Amino acid sequence: MKKYDVLIVGAGIAGMETALNLGDMGYKVLLVEREPSIGGKMILLSKVFPTLDCASCISTPKMAATANHPNIHLMTSSEVKEVSRKNGNFRARVFRRAVFVDPAKCTGCQECEFACTVAVPDEFNFGLVARRAAFIPFPQAVPKKAVIERAGTSPCSFACPTYIKAHGYISLARSGKFEEAFHLIMEDAPLVGSLGRACYAPCEGECTRGLLEGPLPIRRIKRFIAEYYYSRHPEPEYGPPEKRNGKRVAVVGSGPAGLSAAYFLARNGYEVTVFEAQAEPGGMLRYALPSYRLPRDVVSRDVKNITALGVEIKTNHRVESLKKLREEGYHAVFLAVGTWKARKMGIEGENLRGVVDSIDFLKRVSEGESFDLAGKTVLVVGGGNVAIDAARVARRLGASRVVVQYRRSEKEMPAFRWEVEEAEEEGVEFQYLKNPVRFIGEDGQLREVESIRMRLGEPDESGRRRPIPVEGSEERMRVDFVVLAIGLKPSTSPFQDEIELNKNGTVKVNPTTLQTSLPYVFAGGDAVLGPSTMVEAMGQGKRAAFFIDRFLRGEDLQEAEFEYKLPPAKKEEVLSRQLTHTRLNPVKKKLLPPEERIKDFREVELPMTQEEVLYSSARCLDCGICSECHQCILACPADAIDFSQKAQEFEVEAEAVVVSQGFKLFPAERKPRYGFGRFFNVINAMQMDRLLAPTRPYNTILRPSDGKVPENIAYVLCTGSRDRTVNNPICSQICCMYSIKQAQLLMGALPLADITVYYMDIRAFGKGYEEFFQQASDMGVQFIKGRVAKIEEKEDGNLLLHYEDIENGGVKKVAEHDLVVLSVGLLPNPEITRIFKDEKLELDEFYWVKQVEEDVSPARTSLEGVFVAGTAAGPKDIPDSILTAGAASAEVAAYIESKRRGR
Amino acid sequence: MKDKREIIREEMAMRGKILEILKEGAKTVPEVATALGRPTEEVMFWMMAMRKYGLIEETEEMTEDGYYKYRLKEGRK
Ligand SMILES: Cc1cc2nc3c(=O)[nH]c(=O)nc-3n(C[C@H](O)[C@H](O)[C@H](O)COP(=O)(O)OP(=O)(O)OC[C@H]3O[C@@H](n4cnc5c(N)ncnc54)[C@H](O)[C@@H]3O)c2cc1C
Ligand code: SF4
Ligand code: SF4
Repeated sequence: MKKYDVLIVGAGIAGMETALNLGDMGYKVLLVEREPSIGGKMILLSKVFPTLDCASCISTPKMAATANHPNIHLMTSSEVKEVSRKNGNFRARVFRRAVFVDPAKCTGCQECEFACTVAVPDEFNFGLVARRAAFIPFPQAVPKKAVIERAGTSPCSFACPTYIKAHGYISLARSGKFEEAFHLIMEDAPLVGSLGRACYAPCEGECTRGLLEGPLPIRRIKRFIAEYYYSRHPEPEYGPPEKRNGKRVAVVGSGPAGLSAAYFLARNGYEVTVFEAQAEPGGMLRYALPSYRLPRDVVSRDVKNITALGVEIKTNHRVESLKKLREEGYHAVFLAVGTWKARKMGIEGENLRGVVDSIDFLKRVSEGESFDLAGKTVLVVGGGNVAIDAARVARRLGASRVVVQYRRSEKEMPAFRWEVEEAEEEGVEFQYLKNPVRFIGEDGQLREVESIRMRLGEPDESGRRRPIPVEGSEERMRVDFVVLAIGLKPSTSPFQDEIELNKNGTVKVNPTTLQTSLPYVFAGGDAVLGPSTMVEAMGQGKRAAFFIDRFLRGEDLQEAEFEYKLPPAKKEEVLSRQLTHTRLNPVKKKLLPPEERIKDFREVELPMTQEEVLYSSARCLDCGICSECHQCILACPADAIDFSQKAQEFEVEAEAVVVSQGFKLFPAERKPRYGFGRFFNVINAMQMDRLLAPTRPYNTILRPSDGKVPENIAYVLCTGSRDRTVNNPICSQICCMYSIKQAQLLMGALPLADITVYYMDIRAFGKGYEEFFQQASDMGVQFIKGRVAKIEEKEDGNLLLHYEDIENGGVKKVAEHDLVVLSVGLLPNPEITRIFKDEKLELDEFYWVKQVEEDVSPARTSLEGVFVAGTAAGPKDIPDSILTAGAASAEVAAYIESKRRGR
Repeated sequence: MKDKREIIREEMAMRGKILEILKEGAKTVPEVATALGRPTEEVMFWMMAMRKYGLIEETEEMTEDGYYKYRLKEGRK
């Protein structure tokens, strides 16, 4: 545990000044700041009153001195979580947020900011302009290091079984960066085109926008990206990696699991050979998914992404023994043979000619066999996606009637609703609660089916209600062809003597590492999961590649962390970032008309246009803030971006604590009559200070509604101060003077502008303040004594101020201005009290930190050893804040010294 | 009123269109807003961010009605 003499919470001007004083006296100081930069609000100001010295010219050297002081240890993006006492000293838990940039490497060049694809309001410009998810708070930030704002993993990306950064490619698509989007997807999955066509898109199920008008069409956006890229790059842009590690890995099966593993291993320098029993690579993608959903040229182009790396795919090569592969010199094996065996119904007539299983049927169709089903009646048995595919294929082969019999009700059916709808549009009939009991033939040729009606009983192990035959309800139907689609089983039987299998035939693996009972063999995809989805299979391939690499490098597999993700962003929090959400209807899926579809195997779903993609991706709510688009990683010349960075917690000891957490600005929305937050040209004084500062958000002082240079600016003093209706009856002390300062600066910057200050009374106490006020008056600033009752907005963005003109008999008047500045008050920041465990830091009646002996010992608080500096104890200007910092430093030093001497 | 965060978020999707509009020559915020068919206050957010991040810059002269014109800036893409 690190020991300090003093812990200071908050590094605004008061905290920095206290730290510098104490550091100069030789005390070791830990200075903790919540924001990514020190400097507090002062560094964001234009000039300081009454001297009109440049605020950043005063602040910047202090900030630099603080950061470089040998006795000051600075922790930014950090918070003190808890302070307690132990053996007469303080113990504190300090939490440092992950900022995803290595500060030791970051040079502050801002390249990440320029590359970043996510725009959010810039809190350091008080929302007047955007910043990026990757940002350096402001030009004079200390430390001048980028940080990345992340609010968790976006739900869509989190939901992806192969952790494709869905949010990332959406934010790239939104920026029109389609090639970059393609490359981002390729970081996590090589079969981009196939996913764009036929992924079941678990991301969309989690999309936060689903709680509004409907999820983003994430899959279709991916399809657009793949088509955009493939049409420009018929061949991959890369070849085999230069660095090879001399190790060989065999992959058994070229489905999505096998191809994904091969891709990641090859990229890592392994020599990979894929063995495939069929004549062409792709597994189910090529042989089971009908081409009207997934055109075969898309699969072929996807496969090139793997073979371009030098991966050899040996087709027509069925592997029968894993040990033999080892003997042939492969250092490891990935087994991904899928589920190619059909379940049988076990009923009479199953072996008749004209009865086929789904996988056999779909594969033969894919290989070009033209079953002559013209004018025939086809029965498909089953209720999963495979059954629907088979039924729709049968329609395309000319069957005049296609019936799907499913033994449960529509509600229990595992196929997706949209698939059933599309099949129905194509004329497929569904018979629910019905199941064949025998197939009847003549001379070995199917002629009829006898089916029985079912009813639903109690739920079974799967949670679905068990179908029970209704006795005596048998019916016969003439059929010419039957496809059995009642389930698929793993093709693992050749390996049962070499590795352990589960009862259902799936391979037994360690679920984290995918290692089997034979250490050099890993397995994944449907062979492990049972029939699942292509994206789950790809996820397993990627995982296996990671652990095979660890295995072959002789590293401990249990220690390795695969794919660290932040927890998912909370959807309620995402939605609550905005007060309103514009309704943005999803772009509907466009399909060919049903009568066109069934003519042949042409693709059913039509692509989105670029305009639709831009519109759709712009609906994204940026749930996790940073989208993980990885453009910053590519842009950073110092290699400083580090998405694996984690938050840290430290325990420290200190003899004294100083609270200098400053103030909060009065949120002017709490005075709805003034229209702040509703009228763009009603701004607060902090925003005006930003507009006046050299590091301003615009090129000059412009009004936010349309960029016009304002000509007639009003100030409304005491907004949220001396106001019991908002529970802040005290004077904020500084608003009069900062408003006068701004008025003077505006007169200088906009010589033609009129400035009017609506005030209750001007409080110009302090050296030079009265003169400062007079000076403004002499420059032509108009001062009107009167409370502003309400503000209205005109169509042109100008504002009508209704006020009471006190000096002219209290008549009600209306004045027009083109920009209104609310001189907002200061509010306390009382959350600080929460950090003190077991004891209470007392606040005064207005919730500022209580100065228990204000007149003799102004930094003392109710807690021994805890001192206060700056506006934490009440509103004050910069000179007074610096004074209190001086007082706090002296009192802290006296306290420590007397304590050390045993008092 | 549209939430500020929502307007700001749209900048990325609007950039390309605004750059396209400014290819014809320097324009004020209201002029771009008209060309884009979007409200001036939204365009203001987008153009000021584009200025901040080096895609556009102001011309020296102010128009008679008190607006600056913005033009494409060389360098950043
Ligand atoms: C009709 C149908 C439609 C589907 N539709 C979708 C969809 O729209 N979206 C979706 O996400 N998922 C869909 N799926 C599921 C998806 O296809 C699978 O989840 C995915 O293909 C599983 O990938 P895999 O690599 O584990 O297995 P597979 O794709 O089955 O690949 C295994 C490969 O191993 C080969 N092989 C087997 N044994 C050996 C051996 N001994 N030696 C050498 N090679 C061998 C096989 O020939 C095959 O090429 C569908 C499945 C079916 C059947
Ligand atoms: S990953 Fe993308 S969104 Fe996130 S900070 Fe980097 S550039 Fe910005
Ligand atoms: S709103 Fe955007 S980031 Fe959030 S879940 Fe949907 S697509 Fe992902």
